[in-house]
Order: sequence, then structure tokens, then C-alpha cells
Amino acid sequence: MLEKNYLWRIYWRLAGVIMVCVVVALAVVSFFSHRVFDQELVPETEQKAATVAASVRALVLKATSYGIDFSQLYGVEQTFAEVFEENPEFAYMAVTNTDGNVLYTRGTEPIGARTYFRNAVVLQMAHETGEISNSARVGQQYIVSVPINDNGKPLGILHVGIDAAFVDHVLLEVLLDVVVVLVVSLFFTLELLNFMAGARLASGLGEFARQVDRMRAGDFTATVRIRANDEIGRLLRRIDSAIDHLNVRYEFLAGELQDKLRSATGARREALRPAQQAFETLSKRFRFGSAPEGSDTDEMNLNRIRAPLFAFILAEELTRSFLPSYVNQLLVAIPYISPQVVIGLPIMLFMLIVALGQPYLGSWSERVGRRRAMLVGAIMATVGFTGTALAYNLYDLILWRSLCALGYAMVFVAAQGYVLDRTGQQNRAQGFALFIGAIMVATVCGPSIGGILADNIGFRASFGVSALMSLVSILAINRLPTVEVRLATVKPTRGPRMREIMALLMNRRFMTLTGLAAMPAKVILTGVCFYLVPLYIVSIGNTSAMAGRMLMVYAVMMVLIVPLSASLSDATMRRDRYVSVGLIISGLSGLLLLLSESFLVLFGVVFLLGLGQALSIAAQSALVAEHCQEEIRIYGNDAVYGVYRLLERLGNALGPLIASLLVIVWGYQGAFVAISALVLFCGIAFTVATHGSEWQPAAVTQ
Amino acid sequence: MIRRAFLWFTVVAMLAVTDHAAQAQLTRPYRIYAITFRGKTDVERGFEDYFAARRIPVQITYRDLNRDNSRMPGFIEEIRRTKPDLVYTWGTSVTLGVVGTYDQVDPQQNITDIPVVFTLVAAPVLAKIVRDLKNPGRNVTGVFHVAPTETQIRAMASYRPFKSLGILYTPTEQNSVVVVEEVREVSRRLGFSVVAKPLRLDANKKVTADGAPEMVRELKTQNNVDWLYLPPDSFLGTIAQKSVIPAAMSVGLPAFASTEQLMETGALTGLVSRYHSIGQFTAYKAEQILVNKVPPSKIPVETLTRFALQVRMDVAEALKLPPPLPMFNYAELIVPKPEDRIQAALAAAAAAPAGAAAKQ
Amino acid sequence: MGTIRVRFIIVALVVSFFAVGMAAFLNYFKYKSTISSIVRSRVLVIGRNIENSVQASLSVGMQFMEIGTMNALLARERASDRLIQGIDVFDHTGQVIYSTERARVGEKVPNAWTDAAARSKSTEWGTEGTDEYVAGISLKNNFDLTVGYLALRYSSEEVERAAKVAGKEILLASIFSFLGIALVAPLALIVVIRRFERDLRALEAAASRLEDRTDAPMPAGSAFDTAIGSLRSSLREANASLDDLRARLDAGG
Repeated sequence: MLEKNYLWRIYWRLAGVIMVCVVVALAVVSFFSHRVFDQELVPETEQKAATVAASVRALVLKATSYGIDFSQLYGVEQTFAEVFEENPEFAYMAVTNTDGNVLYTRGTEPIGARTYFRNAVVLQMAHETGEISNSARVGQQYIVSVPINDNGKPLGILHVGIDAAFVDHVLLEVLLDVVVVLVVSLFFTLELLNFMAGARLASGLGEFARQVDRMRAGDFTATVRIRANDEIGRLLRRIDSAIDHLNVRYEFLAGELQDKLRSATGARREALRPAQQAFETLSKRFRFGSAPEGSDTDEMNLNRIRAPLFAFILAEELTRSFLPSYVNQLLVAIPYISPQVVIGLPIMLFMLIVALGQPYLGSWSERVGRRRAMLVGAIMATVGFTGTALAYNLYDLILWRSLCALGYAMVFVAAQGYVLDRTGQQNRAQGFALFIGAIMVATVCGPSIGGILADNIGFRASFGVSALMSLVSILAINRLPTVEVRLATVKPTRGPRMREIMALLMNRRFMTLTGLAAMPAKVILTGVCFYLVPLYIVSIGNTSAMAGRMLMVYAVMMVLIVPLSASLSDATMRRDRYVSVGLIISGLSGLLLLLSESFLVLFGVVFLLGLGQALSIAAQSALVAEHCQEEIRIYGNDAVYGVYRLLERLGNALGPLIASLLVIVWGYQGAFVAISALVLFCGIAFTVATHGSEWQPAAVTQ
Repeated sequence: MIRRAFLWFTVVAMLAVTDHAAQAQLTRPYRIYAITFRGKTDVERGFEDYFAARRIPVQITYRDLNRDNSRMPGFIEEIRRTKPDLVYTWGTSVTLGVVGTYDQVDPQQNITDIPVVFTLVAAPVLAKIVRDLKNPGRNVTGVFHVAPTETQIRAMASYRPFKSLGILYTPTEQNSVVVVEEVREVSRRLGFSVVAKPLRLDANKKVTADGAPEMVRELKTQNNVDWLYLPPDSFLGTIAQKSVIPAAMSVGLPAFASTEQLMETGALTGLVSRYHSIGQFTAYKAEQILVNKVPPSKIPVETLTRFALQVRMDVAEALKLPPPLPMFNYAELIVPKPEDRIQAALAAAAAAPAGAAAKQ
Repeated sequence: MGTIRVRFIIVALVVSFFAVGMAAFLNYFKYKSTISSIVRSRVLVIGRNIENSVQASLSVGMQFMEIGTMNALLARERASDRLIQGIDVFDHTGQVIYSTERARVGEKVPNAWTDAAARSKSTEWGTEGTDEYVAGISLKNNFDLTVGYLALRYSSEEVERAAKVAGKEILLASIFSFLGIALVAPLALIVVIRRFERDLRALEAAASRLEDRTDAPMPAGSAFDTAIGSLRSSLREANASLDDLRARLDAGG
């Protein structure tokens, strides 16, 4: 697959160049923003300093009104310290007497302050009685001064110094978000490259590579193809024409041979023998003629699913970092149910609908057509997002979220079906890599951008953005090919039957994989990432944007490590070890919160959780095929995997429920620790259970 | 006086003419039976003010013990007969007389079936009124008025930081001994030294004021303490004005008062509970019981969250220890005599534009 | 030659538009929230002055409803900052008890105010109406019971004006840096694309000579050399076989 790698090298180079340009542009924007901030924030802060100074002055005058001498005041520095605590941008405060000598001071004195205090113009202020203030740049500070004047009797001057660098601090806070934007831009670039140019290039180059392979194998059958009018298209046309020429030559020669053989007799026939032999070897070695139509899969159309899927998943992922906070805001007391559980309710319901809906929506989308199913799902989700944005209270919110869930399940299943329909045995893995890739990139970009949006334009408007994104996905879905393709090899899918579910539930091997590995992994994913992180972050006074950054860390870990661990665990065949290690790492993640409650530790938690999940996720489902061959033989692949996916997704729904119950008992930190401990326990139990000889890696399984 | 003590007075707190009033008059007012220790104080005024402000109709029947415990059985009998909705008790003696200690409740002598709200009890646990402040467990709850010891120490330190603290206390008063212990405990955490001197006992083992001034002077001259702390001590209260404070002033030792009564003897500063606020808080507890129907056993016994920091400006001037500037924001500055100067100061405190920074 | 180049450049433009747009958005909102918090904290300084006075009055046993000096105090504090349009004190039902405007006493404040006060975790709260903003403080008594709320109404003009100015400047800066990218990015991209296009050209050139019988030099140095080589040899082999057949046919007569 030299050509695929070649294309990715080009992508990365392009992305690198684009990123450099973006960084330069961001630097320019930041530079100008800094100028604006300086221009506008400084006068505003000076105003505030004047108000604060007036308030301190009132206190000083109150003290002197009790007969305390102005130069004998006690604890003025203490008052200054209190002011600094409330106004971190103030760096210095001082009171001078009417000669400009400093009586009380605290903070970092700017260079040149003493000279400034003795300046005649400044000293003249002390004689003013009105509400006046004066400000000037002294050294690294802006000094705001107000007179202290007791009903006409000048006492001195109060100075407040504003650190000129405070604007830098304000902008530094934006920087974190800008970094997030950069990361998202990178992923976005790769996704767009793939969408705008890549789909065509990749399929073109893929076609080229296949052609090369085919020809090397001696297959010179002509395919009837419409070639795009671009570089690759022209290239393929050249090859097509070369093949056509060959075929024409072959046809001609074959015809001539036929003719001669038919007309020839005896010796002439004998003379033609070498030619006939040559023709026979030729026919053995090469194949000519026209290719059977449709034997090949349509890679170009397969690639086209990526963009709409990405847009749609992005719409949902945008809401991850702030949905619980939004629910919290719309909370209505439901009798006998703790508010913690109620907050988790919409997420729980969402996951439940997706879990239960999927098996049935699969066959439904087959009946109505993948494209149409996706359209219906996306439209429902768009309505759902719009409704969520305008929700009146918890009750209708739950309705709207359920609509989103149903739409999500429809699009997900139909897109999956779309890939299934267009891939054969040999390129199915590649097809699913594409499918998973689109989802993963969406999980990187969605929560972080969503958090930033929520913080700045509010929850409702952010759901509006989701609705918009979902609308965009409708447009993209609409451009998908209307012709449905079905490979004959694919049997119609069906939902698992109750009898099969029961039988598998009783099966020890199956349940070891599902109950001890797959479900706990999902419980900790939804419980921690979708429920605990967004709520805990906000509860300790941080922002939704921070929650989004956390979720991005998780997603980035997945993107980086899943491909790696998938190929490694495939290569070594000790998949169960990967699952064990992954589960145990996930299980240790939450225990970090026992050390400290800082949000930095939470980064560690999410990092470990991402690492653990990434290690185990690819190996998990492969293990089912590996170790449940007996069951697959009895119930069929579809049923076993159907039940497996169903239970896994029920784990998704259980996550927020378990997390919320734990929060009630032990608070947020306790819930992190407890849910991790649960997964750690499952991880250890899984390790022990898979230790026996029965779990030795089986031979090749497909 | 005795006759006056027997005078009944009934206060029916009614509302002004509002919509609520009409409604309230239809409902029967809550009947409260209140027993005071030495006549009506600001606590009762705060108690009534709270109900008036919250527009809760109450009918309060006041009885005064007038420091005479022999009247208690009569009150108990009347409570049983009139069956009020709530009993209000002022001070440790009255409260113990009505409810008894938790380990010796006598259903014959004590009230158990009617909720009791006490007020102005200095140490409810020490007096065995409740076992646990957070969870009274009896049909009794209430309000205590002494600021937590650590809060007092911190208030002292915010006036002037110190390394060493002197205490004068009555060794026979359990209340004081406990507080001294608490101060020692706080000193270990906050890092200062404590010099506690017990007052002398005479031949009859009765506490005496003899030698008190010398002890105070020694605290300053020999032990080099920075503050004199006056614990909530009844005997100390009786001798402070005459011998303790003048001795302290003579050696320039500032005194910190733990109660309003001690503050009145002339201490420089003190953290005290305003009786009016205590009364309001007591009424708030009563509201929980009467209106919100919370059983008293589940209502924690608490004190105010914010105390009044009082400063005598004349003493501050004499000791050359002006209050720190931030204190002018929240302290109650007492300027003595003439009488109207106090009023002026209070008005100023209420109206003057105060400074920026923090509250206590 | 152009279509792929154009597509890559469009990607660069879309991404830069997104990044620059997000950065502008972030800066603008950070600016707006900073400026409004500065203005609000300025207003709250005055609010806290009032709070201190109220606390002092409550401490000496005055009833919250009966602080006689309150209206005068509010009027004086209001005058100390031109930004403040009015100060109200209201109770938990939202009814105004004291105000700098007599007419407002007894009126109800908007629900948004009481909601904001109830939602806030600290004693400070605030809401932003269309033409005026409100900064508030919950007033608590000596046992932490909220007795009322102080609301300082101030003009939104100051914040809006500042936000407008900054918004315009940030927008301009963003547009210029986006235009800058639009000029620079294609140039920078062409360097990378050139190489890609060279490869494709080499491929095309090779493809155009796929059927050359001569051993024309193969364009070397492209990433597709092996593929092209394979193609050529496949074709050549096929052609050779056909040639062989031709020759035998001819030989066979």
C-alpha cells in the first residue's frame, strides 16, 4: 500500500504548512487583541482603582474622625492587603503625606514612584476636595491617585498602582483555548483534506495501485469507468487506453489465429501449432476482455460517508462537555429521585435508546435504504437539538434528547450499514477504520469547541450550533449516492432474539468478556467522561471549556493509541493481556483523586482513562471472535455480536446512573474513586478468569 | 418588686394592616410561654421583632423567675395547664429548671412533651442540657451566646498580633476552667504562649479578689504578656471594673472581653453577641418548630455566625492602641459619655460611607 | 493541472478561517467578560460600602425594614459614581423596600433578579438586562439568614461601547490576518503541492509512454517509480507475448 502512505505523507506535509500559517495568523490576531485590551482595559481599570481608592479614603477619614492622628494610623497595610486580595491586578498601594513622603505602603513599588509622589502637580491634588483622581504611567505601573482631604484640611494622597502586565495575564487565559483551537484545527485540516481532495485522490490512487497489481497478475481486462477530469483521472485513462490497445491487439490476433486455424488443414495446421501454443500460454498467463461489471467495490462512494458522518457526530459531541450543566440549570424536582440522578437521566436515556434501538434500526435502515435512514435520523436529531436549545424545563428536555438519541442511533446504524454494503471481505477493516476515524476526530473536536462555545455564548446558543451542524450533515447526507448497493454476500441483519440473549447471558466465557471487560469499560467511559467530569469541573469553580479540554485529552489519547494497540495486539495475539492491562489502568485512573482534588490531577485521571481504554478497546471485540467460536457456531456471528454490542451499550446507559448514585453517597471525588475501583476490580477479576489454559490464544479465527 | 414579678403581661404580636394581616387574624396565633431570669432584656425584643418582621402571629406569655428558683414549680404547673405551643427559656438556670439535665429528666418536674427553645445559655453541653450541639436528641433546642474561643483569639490577633496571652480566672467556676483549657488548645495550634492565673481562694475555699491587681500587673511586668483575656467568668465580672481593669490600664495591658457584661467593665475590646440578634436567632429556631414543624431534636443548637466586635475608643486612646484600619469597617466603636456621643457614633456607624474591604 | 491545487488551497483557507474566527471569537468574549467584570467589581465596591452600613445597623438591633437612614445612604452612594443609575433594596419576595427612586418602593423587581440571587453560590450576583446591568449583594444578618438583597443598577452603555470598539478592532485584525493567510498559504502550499504534482506529472508522462517500445529513459525520482516500473514491465511482458504470438502466427503463415 505504498500509495496510501504516500498520500498521507502529502497530507501531513500540507497540514504542517497550513498549521504554520494558522499559528502565524493566530499570533497576529493575539498581538492586535493585546493592543485593544491595553487600550480599553487600562482606563476602565483605572476607574475601578479610583472607586476602590475612594472607598479606602472613606475608611481613613472615618478613623481620623475618631481623633486618630493621620500619621498614627494602624493597620493601613492590612487594608491594602485586603484590597490586593480582591483585585489581583493592583500591585501597589501607598499613602503619602502632603509633602509626598510615604507613610504607609504595600506591594511592589514601581521605579520612579518616590519622585512621582513629590511632583508638585501631584502634591497639589491634596488640596482638592471633590471626587477627583489622577492617573499616570510610572515605571511598570499605572498609578491612580486620589486626595485625602478632611473637609478642606489636606492630609495626604492615596496612590493605587495597577500592574501594566495584568493585560498579559488576561490574555494568557485565552491562550489555553487558542491551543485547543490549534489542535482542533489540525484534526480539522486532515479531515478536510480527506474530504475535499482526499476522497477522490485516495480512490484514484487506490484504483491506480489496484490496476498495477492486476496488471502484474496478468489481468488486462478493460473496465468501463468514467474517469474524473483531474490528474489521476487522466492517468487512469492513459492506463485504460493502454489496456484497450492491448485488448484490441489481442482480439485481432485471437481472431486471426481463429481464422487461420479454421481455414488451415494438415501441415499448415501443424505450422500453426507454435502459435496456438503461444496463444494458450498467453491465455493462461494473461486475461483479456472486459471485466465483469460491479465485481469491484466502489471505494469512492465509500469515502463519501465520512464527511456527513463527521458533521453529524460532531453535532452530538459538541454537547458533551456542558450537557450535564445545562440539565442542572433546567432541573425540576422529581419526587423520590435525587437531583444527581435526574441530571444523569437525559444521558442515561440517550444511551439506552441508542443501545436498544440499534439492533432493530439495522434491519429498518436496510429496508428503507441507508441514505434515507440517515436523512430521517439527521432530521430528527436536528429537531431534537433545536428543541433542546429552546427547552422549557427538564421534562421537554428529556423528550428532545430522546429524539436526538433516536436520530443518533439511526444515523449511526445506517452509516455502519452503508460501509458494510460497500465493503467486501478484504476491505471491510479498512472501511471500518474510515468509519471509526470520522467518529474519533469528531470526539476530539466536539467537546472542546463545545465547551468554549458554552462558556461564551451560553448553553442554549451552543445547542443551536449543534442543530446547525446537524443541519449541515443533512445537506451532506443528501449528496450521498441514491442508488443502494448490496453485496450478495451480506445476509440481511437481524436483532438478537430473546432466546439467544438468555443463552448467552448464561454463558460463562461470553459473560467473562462482556460483563468483566466490555461493560465496565463503557460504564467508566460514560460515567466519568460524560457525567462526572463536566459536573465536577464546574462544581470546583472551573468552566465548561476546561471540561471540554479534559474530554479532548481523552479523545486524543484514543486517536493516538487505538491504531497502535490494535495492530500490536493483533500481532502478538495476546489480546486478553491488552484488555487486562487496559482495564487496570482505567481502574487506577480515578484513584488519583485520592491524592489531590486539583483539576490538574483530573487531567491525569482522564489521561490514564484514555490510555487504558485505548489499549483494551480494539482487543475486546476481537476476543469475542477468538474465544466464543463455540457460541458463534451455535448462534451465529450476528447474534453473538448483536448481544455483545447490546450489553456493551447498556453499559453506556448504566454509567451515568452508577456515577450519580455514587455521587449521592460519597460526593464527586468519592464517585470517581468508587467507579474506578469497580473497574479495577473487574480488571483483576478478568485477569484471573482468563488465566487458565482454556484462554490460550486460539488459532486463526475469522 | 416581688409583686411586679408576678404581674402578668401578655404580648400579642400582631401585624400591621396588610393582606397578610387579614389572613393571620383568621389563623390562631402560636402561643409561646416565655420564662425570663431577670426581667425582659433586648433578647426578648429581638425575639418579638423577628416574628413581627416575618409576619408570624404569636401570642407570648411572659413570666419572670427574678433569680428565685422557688418560683419554677408554679411555672411548670401553669405550662402543664395552659399547654402552650412552645416554651421559651432564658439562661442556664431557667432552662435547667424547665427541662432538667439530659441524664436526670424527671417527668414530674420537667417539661418533656412541649418543645422548649432556650436562649443565652453559655455552655449548653457543659450544663448537660444537650449532649451534642448538632443533634440535640431531646425536645429541646436553642441558642448559645458566647463566641467560639478560637474566633475570639483570632479577633484579638486581628486587633494586635501577639505572642503571649495572660488570663485571670476563677478556679471554682467550671465554665472558666473549660475556656482556659480551650485557649491552651488553640495556642498550640496557632503558636502563642498562655499564662493563666487562677484567682486566690480564702480559708473557706471561696474565691476572693485579693491579690487580683498584683497578678494582673505581674502578667505584664514579669510574664510579658501582650493581652489580658477575660473569660466568661461570673466572679471576674463582679471585680473587673474595680480592680482588674484599672490594674491592667496602669501597666498598659489591653484587655479583651469575652462577654458583653465584661465589655461594660471597661475592656479595650471584645467579641460579644448582641442580645437583640440572639433573640432574633432564637425566634428563628422557634419558627422552625412552629411553622416548619421540624422536631426540636433535629434542630442544631447554634450561636451567631457574626458577632459584634466592640472597641472602647477612650481606652484605645489611653493605651495608644488605635484599632487597625480595616476594623473601622465593621467594629462597633464605643465613645463614652456624654450619652449623646454614643448615639452619634452609632448613627455614624450606621450611615457613614464605610470603606471597601472585607467583613470579619 | 489545477484542480487538486485548488482543492488543497481551499482546505487551507477553510481551516484558517475557522482558526482565526475562533481566536477572534475567544478574544472578543474574553474581552467582554473582563470588561464587564471590571465594571461590575467597581460597582460592587460601592455595594459593599452600603452592605457594611447595613450590617452595622442590624448589629445595633435595628430592624431591616426600619433603617431610617437607608434612603439617604443609597442616594449618597449612588452619587459617588456616575455609572450607577439607581440602587434598590428588596426582600425575598422581590418587593422593593428602599430605593434611590421613591416611586420604586413597593414595586416588584424583575424575576430575573431574584432568580440570579437565588442561584448564586456566594453573596454576590448579577444579571444583564437589555439596557441596564445589575450587580447585587445578598444581605445576611448575624446568623446567616438572608434578610434582603441590594441591587445596583448601572448603565450597560459603558460595557457595550467598550465591547463595540474592541469587537471592531479584533474583527479588523482577524480579517487582515485572514487575508494575509489567503495570500501566503497558497504560496507556501505550492511548494508542497509542486512536489506532489511533479510526481503526478511524472506518472502521467510515464503513462503517456507506457506503450513506447523503445527503452526511453524513465522519469526517475518520483515516489511512483516502482509502480510505474511494474506497470511498464507488465505491459511490456503482455506486449512481448503478443509480439511472440504475432511472430509465430506470421511464421505459421
